[in-house]
Formats: sequence, C-alpha cells, structure tokens
Amino acid sequence: MIQFANVTKEYDNGLRALNDVNLAVQNGEFVFIVGPSGAGKSTLIKLLLKEIEPTSGKLFVDDVDLSQMKRRDIPFYRRNIGVVFQDFRLLSDKTVYENVAYAMEIIEASGKAIRRQVPAVLSMVGLASKANSYPSQLSGGEQQRTALARALVNNPSILLADEPTGNLDSATAADIMKIINMINHRGTTVLMATHAKEIVNTMKKRVVTFQKGVVVSDMEKGEYFFED
Amino acid sequence: MKIRTWKRMVKQGFRNLFRNRIMSLASVSAIAAALFVLGLVLAVVMNMNNMVSGLESKVEVTVFLKENIRQADIDNLDRQINSWEGISERQFISRQEALNTWKEEWGDKRYLLDGYNEENNPLPDSFRITVEKPEFVEEIVEKAKKSSMVEKVQYSKDVVDSITNIASTARVFGLMIVGVLIAMAMVIIHNTIRISVYSRRREINIMKYIGATDWYIRWPFLMEGMLLGLIGAVVSGGLIGLVYSLLEKRMSSSPAQSNLLSLFQILPLNIILYPILALFIVVGGIVGISASLLSMRKHLRV
Ligand SMILES: Nc1ncnc2c1ncn2[C@@H]1O[C@H](COP(=O)(O)OP(=O)(O)OP(=O)(O)O)[C@@H](O)[C@H]1O
Ligand SMILES: [Mg+2]
Repeated sequence: MIQFANVTKEYDNGLRALNDVNLAVQNGEFVFIVGPSGAGKSTLIKLLLKEIEPTSGKLFVDDVDLSQMKRRDIPFYRRNIGVVFQDFRLLSDKTVYENVAYAMEIIEASGKAIRRQVPAVLSMVGLASKANSYPSQLSGGEQQRTALARALVNNPSILLADEPTGNLDSATAADIMKIINMINHRGTTVLMATHAKEIVNTMKKRVVTFQKGVVVSDMEKGEYFFED
Repeated sequence: MKIRTWKRMVKQGFRNLFRNRIMSLASVSAIAAALFVLGLVLAVVMNMNNMVSGLESKVEVTVFLKENIRQADIDNLDRQINSWEGISERQFISRQEALNTWKEEWGDKRYLLDGYNEENNPLPDSFRITVEKPEFVEEIVEKAKKSSMVEKVQYSKDVVDSITNIASTARVFGLMIVGVLIAMAMVIIHNTIRISVYSRRREINIMKYIGATDWYIRWPFLMEGMLLGLIGAVVSGGLIGLVYSLLEKRMSSSPAQSNLLSLFQILPLNIILYPILALFIVVGGIVGISASLLSMRKHLRV
C-alpha cells in the first residue's frame, strides 16, 4: 500500500508543489494522476522514488516510513519499483536486450536467469525481434516498450509512470496502455501521471486530480474533467 | 559482490576505456612515463647496491712499501701481517710483478708503457691483503700505517663510500622526479575518469532509478582507472626491459674492460625486470584506483 499523510513539498525557491496531500493507494490498484501543468504530478512521483524529500508529512510504502529509510537502503527500495518516463531513459550504449538485462545484473542475477527472463519479458512487450537494436534505432513506442520491459523484468510490486505516452502518437499510446494494463493485471500497483484525456476517459480507472499541489478530486472509474 | 558481477565490472571498465580512448591514451602514456623513470632509477640503484656488496665481499687492503726495503724486512712484515686479526689471505707483489700486470691490463695499449723497465719502474712493492669482513678493515689499515716500511695504504672503503653516495643521490633525485611524474599521471588519470563519469552522468542517473547501488555504479570507473594504471605498468615494464637488454648487450660486448671492470658488470635483465615489473603493477594499480576514487565524488551520489 502507498500512503501520503499530510505531505507538503516546498522546493528551495519557496514554491509549494504539493500542499498537505493525503492519498492512499491499495495494492494492485490502477490510479491516474491528472491535473494541469505544474500541478505537482511529477513531484509526487519523485517523492515516491525518494529522489526528493517531503518538506513535511510522511510517506509510507508497504508500511515502511520513507523518511526513516537509510541512504544505503534506497537502491534496494527502488528495485521494488518499476519506473517509466516520457523520455524513456534507456542506456544508449546498450542494446534492447542489454538494457533489460542490466536491471537484472544490478540485482546480481545469474547469467542463466537473465538468459531465461529477458527474452520472455521482451516477447511480452512485443519486442522479441528488436532485442539486438540500440535505442537510437528504435521508434518512440519501441523505446517505451523497452523501458517497460526493464521496469517489469524484476517483478516490481509498484509501477510508476510519468507521462509514459507523452511523446507517442495515439495508436502507439494505446499499445503502451495495453501493456501497462497487463502489468496491472499481474498484480502490480500502477500510478500513472498523464495529460492524455482519451486514455483516461476510455480506461475507467481511479482518477486523482491535482491542482496547484492540492487534491481536488478523487473518483473511482473517473474522468479527466478539466481543460488544460 | 558475486564473481559474475566482478566480471561484468571489468568488462564495463574496458568499455569505458575504449569509449574514452583519446584520454585513455594520454593517461596510459603519463603513467608509463612516470613508471619508466622509476624503473631507470631502480635499475641504477639496484646495480650500485650490487657493486657495493660485491666490493664489500672482497674487501682488499693494499699496502704500498717504501723504496729499497731489504728482503729480510719484507719477510718480517709478512709474518706480522699474518698475525693480524681478520686476514684471510695476503700476497706480496714485487714492483716487477706489478709492472707486468699493469702492462697486461693495458693490452693493446701496452706500448705506452714500453718506456718503463726494471730501472725506472714507477711502481712500489706492495702487499695485497684480502680481509675476511669489512669490519676488520679499519684496524688493519691502522696497524699497517704504523709500520715504518709502509709508504701508503689504500683500501676499497673509499670506493664503496663513493658508490654508496652516488647511489643515494641517484635515489633521492630520481625519486623526486618520479614523485612529480606520478603526481602528473594522477592528475591526468583523475581527469580522464572525471570526463568518463561526466559523459555518463545521464546513464548514471538512470542506473540509480533502476536501483543500482553507489558501489555498483562506481566499480566500472574504478576498474577503468585501475586498467589505465596496469596498462601503463605493462608498457613501461616492456620499455625498461628493451632499454636494459640493449644496455646489457653493449656492456658485455666490450671485453677489453672486463678485467678492470669486472666489478662493474651490470646485473642480468631477469634479476632486475621482475621486481621492477611487480612494483610497476602495484604502483600503477594504486595510482589508477586512487585517481579515479578522487574523480567520483560529484556525480556518483544517490
Ligand atoms: N527542482 C525544482 N525546483 C523548483 N521548483 C520546481 C522544481 N521541480 C518542479 N518545480 C515546480 O513545482 C511545481 C510542480 O512541478 P511538477 O513537475 O510536479 O508539475 P507536473 O504536474 O508534473 O507538471 P507537468 O504536467 O508539466 O509535468 C511547478 O510549478 C514546477 O515549476
Ligand atoms: Mg511532470
């Protein structure tokens, strides 16, 4: 379970990106985080990655208080969280296969496990034929699939996605959403920040809307109801 | 870390090295130059130490006699010398014998000595005394000087002392130069790794998101630095071997001096090369690792 308890994040320049946020996400849920630009969606994701610290309030992930986590435990915490971004963030000097394998090398998986698991995950996201391509040789959709495969390969319990379809056309975006939905059906909790109105409106998932750092609505089978 | 992870680190280190090849080349040259000078200093010092111990193992005292000493007095002195402590051997060398030896040593230049004969022989009679241990030399010299028949006493301590002086001067100056060169190599390797880290900062960030530990990210860069040092060590070891074997060949191909300079025979290549190479590898590795450790403070924090 993910829980925000009165979380406020003020950046060094005094800007309040999140203001007294309370939010609970159950295991296995699929939640869209929406809101106009600057509402604080990315800030929320960064807090969950422990890339930044809240100014006040507390965050719990599976009952672990993130503020109590030691610096050296952060990498191990992150291994339980898959993450994808709008700009894909692949390792440019590694092939598709190597990018995915790298996530397993980090956890010191055996060569045997890597050779078994990576092809399986690649075919799951429909990239088996591109295993030996470099990111620069791929379309945006293929790059995002690679990123999803990498996020997926170690079976994380949470998937964080910050505008994963932001750089993709709507047909490709729909493919990516299918994969994310499939990951969710395997039991992974999904938190996805997005501006993609049609996607939110067709998927009928929980929608949490932010405005100026405040939760303004939280609906089951919700809709994207405001204009940017 | 598991063995397979170490293998991956080494592999990634090589990749970094190659990606950064211009700077890698500069680093390898710098460390190789520093180690090459270190190797020269060591070769010189090792040879000089060898000479010193060679001289010390056959410490000789030569006692030159005054002119016109009677044979009976010489026999008397011979018996006296024999009674002194620490004498392992003594040999009387008449002035005639000394002149003959001299002419022999000069070989094809002996015509220069043709003007000398029994009448105008400039050399004195002498005793050549071989001493058991260097400790006895001082006392023997003192005793010899007391004799009224003795003109002059010469012994190898002077030579030993001056060689020791030269060796320690070579050591001090050489090591100063080596220190400066190693510092320069450190700076260059440090910059190489910094550039390598900097050019991969985006990758490093991604690795952190995926959950790589600080050390998992650092090790390939440490490997890169260490490899630079080790490659530099092997290159300079090869150069030292080459230069030294050329020198060795030249020294052994001039037999005219072999008699006079037998003490100054240089050590064979394999005796000096292996310790120097071992030291190179240790120094190169340590310099490389510490230079890269210094480089990764900024970008490698989670
Ligand atoms: N490092 C930072 N330092 C200062 N202010 C920041 C920083 N990062 C974000 N902000 C500010 O915090 C606010 C929230 O930013 P955030 O990136 O969370 O918005 P967002 O909802 O993700 O917007 P978008 O939809 O455009 O991605 C914005 O006003 C932004 O300018
Ligand atoms: Mg954002």
